[in-house]
This record gives sequence, structure tokens and C-alpha cells, in this order.
Amino acid sequence: MQENIERSGQSRNRPSFRTFLFTASSYRKLAGMSAWLLHRFTGLALVAYLVLHIMGLRSLADPAAFEIYVTTYRNPLFKIAEAILLGSVAFHAFNGVRIMIQDAFYRSERQRQLFYGVLVLTFVVTLVGGLSIIFPYFIAPMLP
Amino acid sequence: MSSQNENQEVRSPVRFKAFGWLMQRITGVGLLLFLGLHFWLQHMPNGFLATAEEYNSILRELGSTGQEFADAIAEGALKEALPGEHVITYSKVLERLQTPLWKMIDVMLLFLALSHGMLGVSRSLGDYMHNERLRKIAVAAGWTVSVLLAWQGTMAVMSVGMN
Ligand code: HEM
Ligand code: HEM
Repeated sequence: MQENIERSGQSRNRPSFRTFLFTASSYRKLAGMSAWLLHRFTGLALVAYLVLHIMGLRSLADPAAFEIYVTTYRNPLFKIAEAILLGSVAFHAFNGVRIMIQDAFYRSERQRQLFYGVLVLTFVVTLVGGLSIIFPYFIAPMLP
Repeated sequence: MSSQNENQEVRSPVRFKAFGWLMQRITGVGLLLFLGLHFWLQHMPNGFLATAEEYNSILRELGSTGQEFADAIAEGALKEALPGEHVITYSKVLERLQTPLWKMIDVMLLFLALSHGMLGVSRSLGDYMHNERLRKIAVAAGWTVSVLLAWQGTMAVMSVGMN
């Protein structure tokens, strides 16, 4: 245990695949690590989406082009992607708030509880929002 | 080990980094508000989206007025709404963006998302690119693209309903 902490402390300043393995091998850091990794991953994914989004919205200049653009997003596969996007935003947003709370109040002993809180909130928002997104496509047709 | 850390900190522009850190928090809180609103606006059943009935009648009207629309409907590039679906459609967006406040809200969202996202990207690059010169080039390229996207996005939103 002691050794693990020292090892992950040693390489803290240089994230790399090696650092990742060291940190992941330390149980105590696993929750924090997955939170950090997911936060970074969702953040970068959102940046990619944002670039596509802004380029797509050039179609606002032409009503017919805009109508076609939003219709491509009404494909069933895109609806699932939309729910995943919502999940990414929700996790990133709630976890971002957790990071800010933790930085502001130094409640590091609460880290684990706060992270589980983030997961629960993300799950609830993604479930409720995601279901309402896919409802007309996947759920309504199954209803009698 | 600790002396190595201190060296690294002296080399990096510490105050600039701290400013980025603060800005990331400020834009983060802003995004919480604006992106929350954006999601509600674009996905939840509300008056800013067309209901299935509204959308299908909009579609019929478009198909009978313009050849471009009629072609798109024939090709399946425009399709009818499913029962219960709420659809983003140009006339509704136009209606909302005719109010300057809504345009400002969109532009605020644009600037917040771009600056927050790019601050995050440059921090991530700082973690993975250990070659200082290459990293600076990458970060500069990133900010250049962001400025172009900010321009593009502002123009797209501001010119709705202006012609
Ligand atoms: C799939 C989910 C989304 C849909 C359907 C959607 C839809 C739209 C639409 C129709 C507009 C046009 C302007 C308006 O209606 O007021 C818009 C603008 C915008 N959206 Fe989204 N949006 C989504 C997710 C996001 C996300 C996750 C972000 C942030 C990363 C975002 C950032 C923006 C920005 C910055 C603008 C203004 C763009 C500009 O100035 O050109 N959107 N969105
Ligand atoms: C919805 C509200 C949001 C909140 C509350 C939020 C909060 C935060 C916070 C506090 C950080 C700093 C994390 C740290 O210091 O370790 C961060 C990082 C980041 N955010 Fe956001 N964010 C939000 C939305 C977004 C959006 C829409 C994007 C994409 C355009 C984005 C992209 C990023 C990126 C790329 C990072 C860097 C990740 C890293 O350094 O590991 N965020 N966010």
C-alpha cells in the first residue's frame, strides 16, 4: 500500500500510460482516477461535438439546408448517440461541480461519497432525458 | 524528486496557468446554466419545438411551396414526425432568434463552450506533449481554430432572419 502511494506520487506530474498503470494499481486512487479519466474523455468528446455542431449550423443560412441538417439528426442511430451525448454532458457537468466543491472546501475525505453522488445524478438525468429522447423511436412503437 | 517538481513549476508560466484554471471554473459555471437551458430548449417538449402535428403540416406546406423542399421530401431527406415527437424546425428557430436576447444567449453559449473547451484542450496537451515547442504550436493552432469557429458561429446565429 505504502509502496503504491509512493509510486503513484512519484509520477504524478507526468500523465502517461505508465502513470496510468501505476495509479490504477493503487486501489485507493481508482475512484479518483476513473473520475478524472472520464472527465477528460467526456470533455474532449464534447469539444469534438462542438466543432461538428458549429460547422453543421452553417446551414442556418439556408432554410432548406437547415431542415435537412436537423432531419439527419432524427435517424434512430443518431437518437441513441444523442442520449449518449446527454450522458457525457451530464457526467462532465456534475463531476465538474464536484471538482469545484472539492477544490473550494478541501473535503477530500468526502471524495468517494461525492463521486457516487455524481454517478447517481448522471444516471438519473441520462435515464430520464435519454428515455424521453428515444421514446418516439423505440418505446412508443412497442406500446400496444 | 521534489526538486524536480519545483524546477518544472518555475519553468512553466505559473500565473498564466492559474488564470486558465480560474477561467475554466467561471466558464464551467456559466455553461452549467447555458447548456442546461440549451438542452431543455432543443430536446424537451416545449413551445420552441414543433409538435408532430405542427411539424407535419409545416412539411406539407413547404413541399407545396418550394421545389427544393419537394425534392428533399421525395428523397427522404425530410421526413414526417413520429407520433409524440418534438422536432427542431427552421420556422421555430427563426421565431425565437428574432428576439435579440435569444441571439445573445446563443452567442454566450458559443463563447463559453469554445473558451472552456479550448482551455481544457490546452491543459490536456500540456499533459501529453512533453516537447515544449511542438506543444506551443499545437496550442496556438487550437486557439486560432477557436477564433475562426467563434466568428463562424456568431455570423451563423446573428444573420438568422436578417436578409
Ligand atoms: C444533440 C444535441 C443538440 C442539439 C439537437 C442542438 C441543437 C442546436 C440548434 C438547433 C442550434 C441553433 C440555434 C438555436 O436553435 O438557437 C444550436 C446552437 C448551438 N449549440 Fe447546440 N444542440 C445540441 C447540443 C449542444 C451541445 C452539447 C453544445 C455544447 C458543447 C451545443 C452548443 C451550441 C452552441 C454554442 C450553439 C450556437 C451556435 C452558433 O453560434 O453557431 N449544443 N444547437
Ligand atoms: C456543463 C457544464 C460544465 C461544467 C460545470 C464543467 C466543468 C469543468 C471543470 C471544473 C473542469 C476542470 C477540471 C479540473 O480542473 O480538473 C473542466 C474541464 C474540462 N472541460 Fe468542462 N465543464 C462543463 C462543460 C464542458 C463542455 C460543454 C465542454 C466542451 C466544449 C467541456 C470541456 C472540458 C475539457 C476539454 C476539460 C479539460 C479536461 C482535463 O483537463 O482533464 N466542458 N470542466
